[in-house]
Amino acid sequence: MGEFQVHRVRFFGLVPAGVRCLACQPRGTRLALARTDGTVEVYNFAANYFQEKVIPGHEARSVESLCWAAGARLFGAGLGGDITEYDLAGLSAARGVDGGGGPVWSMVANGTGTQLAIGCEDGSVKIFQVVAEGIQFERNLDRRKGRVLCLSWHPSDTHIVAGSIDFFRVIDVASGQTVQRIMVNHQVEKAKRECVVWAIALLSSGTVVSADSFGRVQFWDWQQGTLAESCAVSTSAVLSLAVSEKEDSIVVGTSSGATYQLQLLPVRLGGLEKQWVRTKVFQFHSHDVRAVAHSPTALISGGLDAQLVIRPLMEKVQKKSYDAVLRKFIFPHRRLVSCARKARLLLFQFSQYLELWRLGSTEETGKDGEVLPLCQMPEHLLQLKSKGPEHIYCSSISPCGTWLGYSTASRLQLYRVHCDGDGVSLSKVPKAPKLLPPAYQLQFSAASDSLFVASARGAVHVFQLQEPGGCKHLHTLRPPSGCSEAVYLLAPSADGHWLAAVSGDWAIHVYNLKCFKHHCVVPSYDCAVSALAIHPITNNLVIAYSDQQLSEFSIPEKQYTGWSRAVQSRGLHRVWLERDSPITHITFNPKNAAHILLHDTFLLCVLDKSLPLPDDGAILMNQSTLKQLPETARKRQLHAFKICKKFQPLLFMDLLDKNCLVVVERPIMDFKTQLPQPVQQKKFGT
Amino acid sequence: MEGQQPVLIFTTEKDGNFFVYVQKPKLSSLHKYKLEQQKSAKPLCFTAHITNQTVTLLCLYSNDSVYQVLIPLQQDTEEEKKVKEEILSKSLLLKLSVSGAVLKGTSLVVVDKDHVAVLGSLAASGNKPKEYLTVWNTKFQTLQTSKELPLGTSGQLWCYEEKFFLFHGRVLTVILYKCETSSLAAAVGKLKDSQTLDVSSFVNWNTLEDEEQVVSFQSQQSVALKGESRMNLRSRRSTVAEQSGTLSVGQLLLKLKNASTYVLETELRQLMAKAPTPDLQATIGCVVTALIDRCKRNPKYYPQTFLQEIVETRNLSYSLCPDLMAVALEKKDMHLLQICLERFPDIPEEITYACLKAFLSMSEEYLKSIDVNLDSAICYVDVEYDDMGFKTETLENGFSAEMEQDMCDTKIPTESRSDGESCPVGLRKAALLNAVLHSAYTETFLLPHLKNLPPQQAVLFLRYLYYLYVKCSEKVNTTLPGVRSPTINQIMDWMCLLLDAQFTVMAMLPEAKDLVSNLHRFVRAQVRFYSELNKMEGSLRELQRLNLLRESQTYSIEVLEII
Repeated sequence: MGEFQVHRVRFFGLVPAGVRCLACQPRGTRLALARTDGTVEVYNFAANYFQEKVIPGHEARSVESLCWAAGARLFGAGLGGDITEYDLAGLSAARGVDGGGGPVWSMVANGTGTQLAIGCEDGSVKIFQVVAEGIQFERNLDRRKGRVLCLSWHPSDTHIVAGSIDFFRVIDVASGQTVQRIMVNHQVEKAKRECVVWAIALLSSGTVVSADSFGRVQFWDWQQGTLAESCAVSTSAVLSLAVSEKEDSIVVGTSSGATYQLQLLPVRLGGLEKQWVRTKVFQFHSHDVRAVAHSPTALISGGLDAQLVIRPLMEKVQKKSYDAVLRKFIFPHRRLVSCARKARLLLFQFSQYLELWRLGSTEETGKDGEVLPLCQMPEHLLQLKSKGPEHIYCSSISPCGTWLGYSTASRLQLYRVHCDGDGVSLSKVPKAPKLLPPAYQLQFSAASDSLFVASARGAVHVFQLQEPGGCKHLHTLRPPSGCSEAVYLLAPSADGHWLAAVSGDWAIHVYNLKCFKHHCVVPSYDCAVSALAIHPITNNLVIAYSDQQLSEFSIPEKQYTGWSRAVQSRGLHRVWLERDSPITHITFNPKNAAHILLHDTFLLCVLDKSLPLPDDGAILMNQSTLKQLPETARKRQLHAFKICKKFQPLLFMDLLDKNCLVVVERPIMDFKTQLPQPVQQKKFGT
Repeated sequence: MEGQQPVLIFTTEKDGNFFVYVQKPKLSSLHKYKLEQQKSAKPLCFTAHITNQTVTLLCLYSNDSVYQVLIPLQQDTEEEKKVKEEILSKSLLLKLSVSGAVLKGTSLVVVDKDHVAVLGSLAASGNKPKEYLTVWNTKFQTLQTSKELPLGTSGQLWCYEEKFFLFHGRVLTVILYKCETSSLAAAVGKLKDSQTLDVSSFVNWNTLEDEEQVVSFQSQQSVALKGESRMNLRSRRSTVAEQSGTLSVGQLLLKLKNASTYVLETELRQLMAKAPTPDLQATIGCVVTALIDRCKRNPKYYPQTFLQEIVETRNLSYSLCPDLMAVALEKKDMHLLQICLERFPDIPEEITYACLKAFLSMSEEYLKSIDVNLDSAICYVDVEYDDMGFKTETLENGFSAEMEQDMCDTKIPTESRSDGESCPVGLRKAALLNAVLHSAYTETFLLPHLKNLPPQQAVLFLRYLYYLYVKCSEKVNTTLPGVRSPTINQIMDWMCLLLDAQFTVMAMLPEAKDLVSNLHRFVRAQVRFYSELNKMEGSLRELQRLNLLRESQTYSIEVLEII
């Protein structure tokens, strides 16, 4: 097969933001997640937990709480004091409505999703009506001193329980009056520390479950105002709590990074009397677990260590499937790196700036596993800060390295990169395209003469790039049947003839760029597309889906290729299908038409179409076995998937030329050291 | 309580007949009277007061009237005892009706000689009945004042020193009220005066979280009382209360030096209830000191419950009443000592030691007869072993002699294991010892005292500590269940302290030998375990360092062969 020179890059200093809150769509398959930098993400359980939508953050828009209302509408509220509705088709935040009570600490929707209750800094609880065009203030409930940190509706929508510092109270929604106020700290003797009720839930039985900073989960009878049970789950604060829909299981997250499950179990086997018992403990996180959610089959937790952990409840999982395995996600399911192959430049996208690096080089060659001496070190060429408070949606650098563009929620910026000798300078393209922003994906053509901008409602704008530094809008491509969702992935062909675009409804449209016409639609497959690319020689479109399926579609013939049909009929290897993270980038080897290079977070794969597909009995990751076999014996063991797991976690991989690869890694330890110190825990002997 | 003589009045009902009993416990005399029958009405509520050797009994009847019954307080003679029962005649005192509306009374109290207060609901025609607190002038048969209680009441009303107490909705409402001397002008409303029912303070049960708030409430109350002008005096008690307000605490205590026990306690209770806030603590200190002095003078006198009450409800400290614990030790008042140990922050080590010694030497039989707070021990001491009492023999706790190797925790024979699991002391003793474990101490000062602990007791204490340690270790979070149960740190500190103080004795004593060698083996195993862990940590660190060195390079070009 061959040897590659691998540029192993670890200087991409990405620090993913911590998870602030989670919200499971009621009776739905989606999970909304907000990070501490204000980014909102939507994961789709039905598509192997694919990170389907990302709405980048904004400096002024912190998100403390997310909730789904009126079916599939997503609302967020935060310390800015606004309630924001997220446009999930257009991937943007609508204009916020002022909550009117200062910073908003919590927001919950009622059972029917028609009303939102917010808990504010000034101690008020306000009700908003969800209406077609947004939300509308309805009324204030009884206001008491002390910020309202958490809220919960009774399933019948008659009462709201609001947690504050040292106490929580139960409010009758109809009258707006506080009907019960319960102090939570009276059992702790002489405790002058304040006891923060971080999370609360009101069960249909009338039991209030509170989680507090003393590490307790307590069960109260709110009508009597009495404590029914107290569970000291942890010595560190309990920060988050979620109850299963059946109300028989609770998950809590603590500041020590541990999550605990409590279950309502019969005291005696077969008995009727039931009691809440702490049953399971998990230590998946190194930092505060600020958010937990309880799906019917899994415990979901998100920590300040940026991890999203989905821990299936084995007793609830019927068959062995993707859902039956523990999943951890740290890195986004999309590319943050782009590469100028010819100029050997890498562009890194951070939330508010870009970094441009030039790769080093070597003149030596060596054997497998050797590290070659460098004759030129990599060079940090420039850092480009985006203006304004908005975070960057997407960025790209042209293959020749002379053009660079990025987009925020309101602006699209295009620059010309001048490399003269050692110095690098940028000049802004004066007549930057004025479009209805934002752009969700930017892609330069292989010849660096045009720019494709993925836009809302399925549209793709095509610009012609002109020397020495100008651009002209050529055309806007739209799917003939119309589309409400934004385009999130683009793939131009190397010959400049074709462009494939994927929108949020997962339809893949292929356009002819010579006549700016819609060419065809790839037959629909009901799963999210995680990556796609057009082969430079055959013009076959290779598509990777989030359920780990692969297909190859011939654009000129408007049909799946024979190889793709063979793959479909035979099925992919079990181990391949059970992988954790989706393929995020596909590239090709121009010298060998049969090779497809793909990668996800944990592996890099060269797919050789000329070789037979492995069956389930074969070892999928067989590189190390093959290396031990003599040349002659290898033949029988060879199969199409050549997998290398040496580089982890892998954020980007591209082929620079026929035997030169670049990989961008971000070791977990590197970014963990940049996180704030977690709660100190006593370890043995220290 | 006329003339230092309490009178108990109670009523009974049998087959529609009502009987009134007047009992003088001091003279052990009991008089029974039958109440004159009334057609179609029953008594709902009684109240009584004594003036000039006559009991005035007021009855609220279900026909919305208040009747007055006068009962003379007779001197006991033999003849009268034979009289079976006298029929008491009653006279109508008051009809509870205001301009057509009738007050359905539920309870009745006497405010002063001319005023009664009735709690009830006023049913005006057509409207929903509303609950009112009303004050009536009996002399002129008029409604003096009323207050609407919209949130509803429990129907009960108490009056104590010009204050009405009643449940209003969810709160206990206290209404200060003062009646002017009854005059016609006031009765017909000509006289505008300060009497209002507006001043009300209330206790919200939800906020009654800790004692401090109660105390502040009480002091608030007393301040409010002071602000009131002189009130009508109804009983001797309030006379004294007035005086104590004017007398200084010292003077009062001096005055009470020779008073009877009962009077003393009553006065002191009142004093505490009325003490002004700034020197409340000091006053209580004085009160306790006065009581203790009395105890010292009179060996028979020991107000156990009163002292317990004070220690439990007030934030006392040892230095405020230095003799209290000594006296309690002398009187073997284990419960009081337990409370003191749990609450006082500044007990000298000498006293702590004395308590420990007293607790350890106390026989289980004696302890069974006394009352102690068992909360700290009840959750983990097995009650069935409690019956066995503690054993003076300590040999069964040990390990078999051949168990010389270090694997102390894994291969314990089941037989000795079960012994190790039983508590060496009874439940009550365990609770008392826990109080000692909880108290604050300084090692340097406690150590010399501990050296004096008799060997048998030291061994017993050590065995108990070891038992606690084993119990702690059973739990993942190494805490014992229950309130005020000792923490692992307290247990270990005391164990170390005891071993330090008594090591030579322990080494010599045959019954301690097994226990000590057991502990020794355990410590040795721990030390080895930790040293192993440290070694492991060292090598892991080194691995990590190597790894970091390799990984810390942010860029490299490597050769990768893919077959």
